[in-house]
Amino acid sequence: MPGHARLLIRQVAALLAPAAALASLHVTGTAAEPWRRILEAWNLNLRSHRAIVVAGPVQDGQAQQWLDQVGQGAVLILEGASPLAEALGFRPRADRVRVASLEDVHRPQLPIYWERPLELPLFEVPEEARIFAREKWTRAPLMAGFRRGSGAVLWLATGPGEQGYERFPYILQAMADLGVTPEFQSRRLWAFLDTSYRRRADPDYLARRWRSAGIAALHVAAWHFFEPDPDNDRYLQDLIRSCHRRGIQVYAWLELPHVSESFWERHPEWREKTALLQDAHLDWRKLMNLLNRDCFRAVAAGVRALIERFDWDGINLAELYFESLEGHGNPSRLTPMNDDVRREFRTRHGFDPVELFDPASPRHLARDAAALRAFLDFRAELTHRLQTEWLEQAEAIRREKPDLDIVLTHVDDRFDTRMRDAVGADAASLLPLLERIPFTFLVEDPATVWHLGPERYQEIARRYQALTPRSEKLAIDLNIVERYQDVYPTKQQTGVELFMLVGTAARAFPRVALYKESSILPPDLPWLSSATAMVRSVERAGSRMAVDSPYGVGLRWSTPARVSGRLWPAWDGEVLWLPPGKYEVESAAEGPPVRLLDFNGELRSARVTPGGLEFSYESSARAFAVLDRRPSSVEIDGEAATVRVIEDGDRFTLVLPRGQHWVGVRVE
Amino acid sequence: MLAFVGLAALTAAAQTQDPAYDPLEKAYAALRSRDYDSAVAHFQQAVLLAPDRPSIRKDLAYVLLKVGEREAARDQFAEAMRLAPDDVHVALEYAFLCHETGKTAEAHRVFNQIRRSGEAEHRATAERAFENIDRPLREGIERWKRALDLRPGDFSAHHELARLAEQREDYALAEAHYLEAWKLRPQLRSLLVSLGRVRQALGDAEGATAALLAASRSPDTRTAEEARALLPQRYPYVYEFQNAIRLDPANIELRREYAYLLLAMGRGAEAEHEFASILETSPHDLLSAAQLGFLRLARDDWAGAEPLLNRVLEGSDETLKERVRRALEPLMRLRQRSEAAAPAPEVKVLAERSYKAGYLRDALKYFTAAHEQDPLDFSVILRLGWTYNLLRQDDQAIRWFELARKSPDPQIATEAARAYRNLRPDFQRVRTTVWVFPVYSTRWRDLFSYGQVKTEVRLSRFPLRPYLSLRFIGDTRQTTGEASPQYLSESSLIAAFGLSGGPWKGFVLWAEAGSAVNYLGARRNVPRAAPDYRGGISFAKGFGRLLGSEAAGWFFEANTDAVFVSRFDNDTLLYWQNRFGWTSPVVGALGGLQLQLYWNGNLIADVRRQYWANVAETGPGVRIRWKWMPRSVAFSVNAVRGRYLIQQGNPWGPQFYDLRAGFWYAGTR
Repeated sequence: MPGHARLLIRQVAALLAPAAALASLHVTGTAAEPWRRILEAWNLNLRSHRAIVVAGPVQDGQAQQWLDQVGQGAVLILEGASPLAEALGFRPRADRVRVASLEDVHRPQLPIYWERPLELPLFEVPEEARIFAREKWTRAPLMAGFRRGSGAVLWLATGPGEQGYERFPYILQAMADLGVTPEFQSRRLWAFLDTSYRRRADPDYLARRWRSAGIAALHVAAWHFFEPDPDNDRYLQDLIRSCHRRGIQVYAWLELPHVSESFWERHPEWREKTALLQDAHLDWRKLMNLLNRDCFRAVAAGVRALIERFDWDGINLAELYFESLEGHGNPSRLTPMNDDVRREFRTRHGFDPVELFDPASPRHLARDAAALRAFLDFRAELTHRLQTEWLEQAEAIRREKPDLDIVLTHVDDRFDTRMRDAVGADAASLLPLLERIPFTFLVEDPATVWHLGPERYQEIARRYQALTPRSEKLAIDLNIVERYQDVYPTKQQTGVELFMLVGTAARAFPRVALYKESSILPPDLPWLSSATAMVRSVERAGSRMAVDSPYGVGLRWSTPARVSGRLWPAWDGEVLWLPPGKYEVESAAEGPPVRLLDFNGELRSARVTPGGLEFSYESSARAFAVLDRRPSSVEIDGEAATVRVIEDGDRFTLVLPRGQHWVGVRVE
Repeated sequence: MLAFVGLAALTAAAQTQDPAYDPLEKAYAALRSRDYDSAVAHFQQAVLLAPDRPSIRKDLAYVLLKVGEREAARDQFAEAMRLAPDDVHVALEYAFLCHETGKTAEAHRVFNQIRRSGEAEHRATAERAFENIDRPLREGIERWKRALDLRPGDFSAHHELARLAEQREDYALAEAHYLEAWKLRPQLRSLLVSLGRVRQALGDAEGATAALLAASRSPDTRTAEEARALLPQRYPYVYEFQNAIRLDPANIELRREYAYLLLAMGRGAEAEHEFASILETSPHDLLSAAQLGFLRLARDDWAGAEPLLNRVLEGSDETLKERVRRALEPLMRLRQRSEAAAPAPEVKVLAERSYKAGYLRDALKYFTAAHEQDPLDFSVILRLGWTYNLLRQDDQAIRWFELARKSPDPQIATEAARAYRNLRPDFQRVRTTVWVFPVYSTRWRDLFSYGQVKTEVRLSRFPLRPYLSLRFIGDTRQTTGEASPQYLSESSLIAAFGLSGGPWKGFVLWAEAGSAVNYLGARRNVPRAAPDYRGGISFAKGFGRLLGSEAAGWFFEANTDAVFVSRFDNDTLLYWQNRFGWTSPVVGALGGLQLQLYWNGNLIADVRRQYWANVAETGPGVRIRWKWMPRSVAFSVNAVRGRYLIQQGNPWGPQFYDLRAGFWYAGTR
């Protein structure tokens, strides 16, 4: 540190009273809300965390007292030019630079743009600082930082923006590079997997990575495996085995009315038609006419065979409605218009729906609003019929494979109410089915609102909770893809924006799914589990911590622990897994004889027993419990049970039934 | 044992020779234990140490595939392909990964290439892969074409068609449909980026630049920055702006920047026209309204300016309003003929300091900022003129002098007008220069007169200027040039046509062809009329306080000429004339007298080695002018002692003294 900086720091320290009691987040001289939102994305705002001080350009004496706390572990974040920043070597020069795009070391190839470009001074940064982000064209430093003692300093050329994610996507990753990492994690995420993107990757490697990213279940694109094929089937079996070894559930993700490439080729007679009466090959989907009974029977038989051929944990009936998001505004993408649909509609309403799209017809949609309304309502009714029929099919399969979970992925039509007319989706008519067929209703975030902020998930949740008493069966699906809208700072959600989206969704819904695992960028993957960790409160008193979480949480903990006074078995050496509710945690002198390294399901309780452990859980699909010792006997609900054990070196994964159960394990 | 020692030695040698040996060893060890993350790190290290080895790139790519990093693997295969272009296997891997990672056009291209030129086995693989890519593209294109037949003007169909055509490398089709799609949704300028990209692929650089330039001036940052990345790094030319505007006439940002460019080029009238036409289509574009208002103010069009500036003041852009308010304050003062001076803003003080200290670049920056703050501060406008003048950017300087002439302050207006008059001829299409230099020599006891009238034409894009010239050379005794009649005493009028180029950094190049006519009639050895061809290069530069400076000080002047004259036996003469001395202040009490006291150092030489053309001379001199006289008028008296450098044929003796009194006048119209 330059001499004058040291002097300033000493002067400041001498002038001010001893540091106030550490609050975890203190913001001075700049807007506090964006920083609260940023840090909340990793639960860094909780009181258990070390002090984080944000000092903006307008500084008062209060901000500067934190300087000498940095060496003792505090994290100082500086915005723009200020005496404090200058004292630490971040000095503005007379030259200015227009910043519209930047490059971040965490993903240098990712284009990052600012919606509102800024003219900023060109800054000098101290030699000891690592530069995390630079202006794209001039290479001017925009975000840099360094560690000092056990603390750290992070400097940004300007504030992060009103929402907290408009300018620097990788602020949190930069903080992690400076040693500021989250304390909590969760492993409850679902993710969609299209194997065509992962065919040459090592499934064991990926499974390990997915699990540490907090993924509980993979929904695998099953249409690639609709027709049996020895090589293809072997690949999927290996993939499922690798996932199960790591305690990850695997669901068959179906995209009906797309069946498979081969099915489309083999059955041109059952192809769906658009309103221009062309075959409905729309984007990658090749849609079939499932309202045709012959087609339905063929597909239903194929689906049943597909489910039987592999060791699935569930079925996901996804996007089972019509095309497209542009609705009747784009006839070249509008479905259904196959002969069966036209015939049925004509019988009921007395005209061919194709006339709606014929500019020469008196029934053209621009002229006959009532005719259009009749068709759109008819279409929504067809969708409901299709969805009910396929849920019943899935339920029929479950009768033979009782551990199978069922999911229906359904585009939101409550928040974006245009969806009913656009694709025929109508959640209100579908949700009562939950009383008859237990399934998870996975609300798909429609593309039309991908540009809106994270708060939309609270509103979406509120609207669906009003439709059903079974709100625990609601889940939300976030599409992590390049959005078609003009969105900033990145086309695809990443960094702070992604963590905020996922975190807000996880607060609003019991379950969050991400589409798709391969689109999650490498800088985000290690931190997803922390972004989805929900903690209501944390209190720290000396070496004891009290943690309250709604769905259970993983707490970073490096020694054996007692939880609410009892030796705790759910610990992998780094993370302590706590059930939902409030628990006190403290270090224990000795570890448990057997450890529950990982558990996929909702852990309700756990305790060490002589020669083993016992725990209770709830799961909508099969649950996976990973132990560090080979079990010699297992009891489920008080009865001796034969449980499948998957061995993988010193890890032993128990495959447990779905539902609510108590499990007792004795080890060799 | 020997074998073992030999093997160990060979291994050691391999280690010392291969800089990547260690990381590669570690990478393969990590690979064997399926520790892919470590393997990737070690391979990356090996790549850094041996960047030109394709085998390391390939191995790294395969490990990257194991960890699911397909794009990174693709890029390593691309590099391996560059390093080993004959390795078809690598090319196939690259193409497959291009296809998987969405670079379909690239995959299409590489497979197409291999299926036509590789070995049979590779050809078959490439053929299958090519067909797997090409068939859906082909079918998709046909499908969307049919959709367009059924529903012409369908944006979605045009866009899909363009996208598929681009992936299929059918860039002409893609270009047509991107253009159609954009015409249907002109606010989607991201389509212009696609249009520019496919035009680049088609080799249509001009068309691509037009589309990309229009996109780069989009209000949407992403589109603008993506376009910028595809554009040349240089600033666009005027015609490129014009092409872009023809393509996207509704692009206000583009048109506004074009107008600013015209302004910066001194094409004020065109800029005004452009701003006015922007306002015709976008009356709410307050920035254009403000700029047009200021331009009208600058040419005293108060009536035209005020409604525009009022429109800005009634608008919602607070920053712009503030700027206009600041500019209008002096306007109101001017209109009220108030003598109160505007408070000097800090930037102006900085500008003055920089100017006085000679930091002209800084001065220019600060004066420009000061002008932006207060566009009606004519002292700043005048200073901008002088600063550009001193920076030898007279094309800019004249524009500022012209503006400063309109100052209500008579002192500023007069100074600006004088400077403008001095510079203006350089920028006129036709200009006539007259100079005369009568000089009396005590050595020859004769009065010599030299003079020239020259009319030249300035052609806008042609670097040379044609001119017509009439020279006069004569003396009162008409007897001096005995040995070589053309020297000094000629009594001739020389009419000629010539071309001149420059000035460029003080150099002027010129050549002329004409006829010399002796106005006294035929003389001994001299015909009455003779062809006259001459040409040369001249260099003139002055440093320090030159005659006419406001303040006193030292100066140095250098004049160097190389002249070929056909009538001097096709001789080439070289003149070096230098003066070093001191310029006095202007003495008001003596009617504005200014003196220059200096020392001459002259050298004349020629190619043909004639005695009269090889002379060195030195001695004191004085130049005198009064401030009221035109800038290019001066009296001079020089006393020199000279020496002929070649004595052969010299009838005058080796040395001489000479006192010369002369009068220099030059004027331009």
